[in-house]
Amino acid sequence: MKTRSLQILFWLGLMILALPLGRAQQNPLPDAAAKAAADEDEYAVVKIYDPLEPFNRTMFKFNDGLYDYVFQPISKGYVKVTPAPVRMGLGNFFTNLKFPIRFVSTLLQGKFKHAGLEVKKFYVNTVAGLGGFIRISDDVPDIANLPSEDLGQTFGVWGIHNGPYLVLPVLGPGTARDTVGLVGDYFLNPMHWNQLQHVDGYHWWWDTTLQATDTVNSLPELLKLYDEEKKAALDPYLSVRSAYIQYRDASVKQ
Amino acid sequence: MRSIRLLFASIVSFAALSAATVVQSGDPQQVLRSGIDEVLGIVYSGKTPTQPFSVLVRPVLEKNFSFDVITRRAVGPGWRQFSLAQQQRTTVLFTELVIHTYADRFEAGAQPGITYAAPVVLAPNKRELPTTIDYAGKKYAVAYRMELVSDQWRICDVIIEGVSMISNYRAQFDPMFQHGGAAEIIRSLEEKLVQITAVK
Repeated sequence: MKTRSLQILFWLGLMILALPLGRAQQNPLPDAAAKAAADEDEYAVVKIYDPLEPFNRTMFKFNDGLYDYVFQPISKGYVKVTPAPVRMGLGNFFTNLKFPIRFVSTLLQGKFKHAGLEVKKFYVNTVAGLGGFIRISDDVPDIANLPSEDLGQTFGVWGIHNGPYLVLPVLGPGTARDTVGLVGDYFLNPMHWNQLQHVDGYHWWWDTTLQATDTVNSLPELLKLYDEEKKAALDPYLSVRSAYIQYRDASVKQ
Repeated sequence: MRSIRLLFASIVSFAALSAATVVQSGDPQQVLRSGIDEVLGIVYSGKTPTQPFSVLVRPVLEKNFSFDVITRRAVGPGWRQFSLAQQQRTTVLFTELVIHTYADRFEAGAQPGITYAAPVVLAPNKRELPTTIDYAGKKYAVAYRMELVSDQWRICDVIIEGVSMISNYRAQFDPMFQHGGAAEIIRSLEEKLVQITAVK
């Protein structure tokens, strides 16, 4: 039931994003200040479509508290009891496991050579890297630095614009386009394929443990990046919003 | 005919002059490498630091970054409405903020590995130098925008994973300037620096 409603949400979202409305609302800032900035240099402020700003700011504050008072203690405890090589190995394993997201996204973008390299990387890391725990691909020049790919980015390559900026509870910054992409990524992630159910002696908590390990293992790095952004920011909400949009635009262009 | 010769001569002499300027100011990648090596040499010297990293790396950053250009661009068109005193004050405060936040990113542990890719020529006096930083098992794409400022190659922007430092601050300064002008930007920078130093 949950999967079916997510599927409906995904296709519905995709259809809405494909409407011309999404495109029209993503124009540069029309006011005089932005025009003057554009004349002056290449760093002109680009208007980010944020019609839900009051809600987003509230959610940003909520997430900030959640990160500080719930996730940070979990992350610190996890770092304390888990040696760095284990954290790194687990990170490599989960990244390798999410190969279908990257593979399908590159195919949908028509990057067939890149898709082939993704297959090679997955094969090298899975076979020679003990199931993906060791990132052997770092030593193979043509697959050492493949850019990350996902469905939200694929939609961007297709010309679908960001749509409204959204701060999602727990998940943080995003856009309408990337949220729809995230739902698609969910289905492409083998961790959600319920494959463990076919193993003898399966318990429901196996899946939960696997997903929780992935989440907790990624926390230290994510929270560190967030903290650095916040420390350097004069207005953390605007800083994170600008960084997110710039980051996603760059990944669409690459 | 004579005018064509004159034109040709002026083009040749201009090209020679530009080339001389570039040679005199050195290779931007070499300048960047030596600056980064200097910073890493300080941070990962293996000795217990006697002062905060922000103090130790400041001379290297001041030598390699053009904080005047960075501040002016981060503020944007509003900069022209600042008084000279306001411009100077903003530059001092913003330099302080950038140095603190840059230095705070360093922490004890393994030294990051840096790979330099071929520079991209954006203009005769502008280069983008892409690098990959390998740190704690993760790779980050960091590009440095360098420009000839007073015949010296200086860093004028840092782009981490596609996020430009100048664009990020511009997105924050712009509404501040619209709301309260130069005074609002200066007040906000002062508050931030008090906050940063209080945490330490």
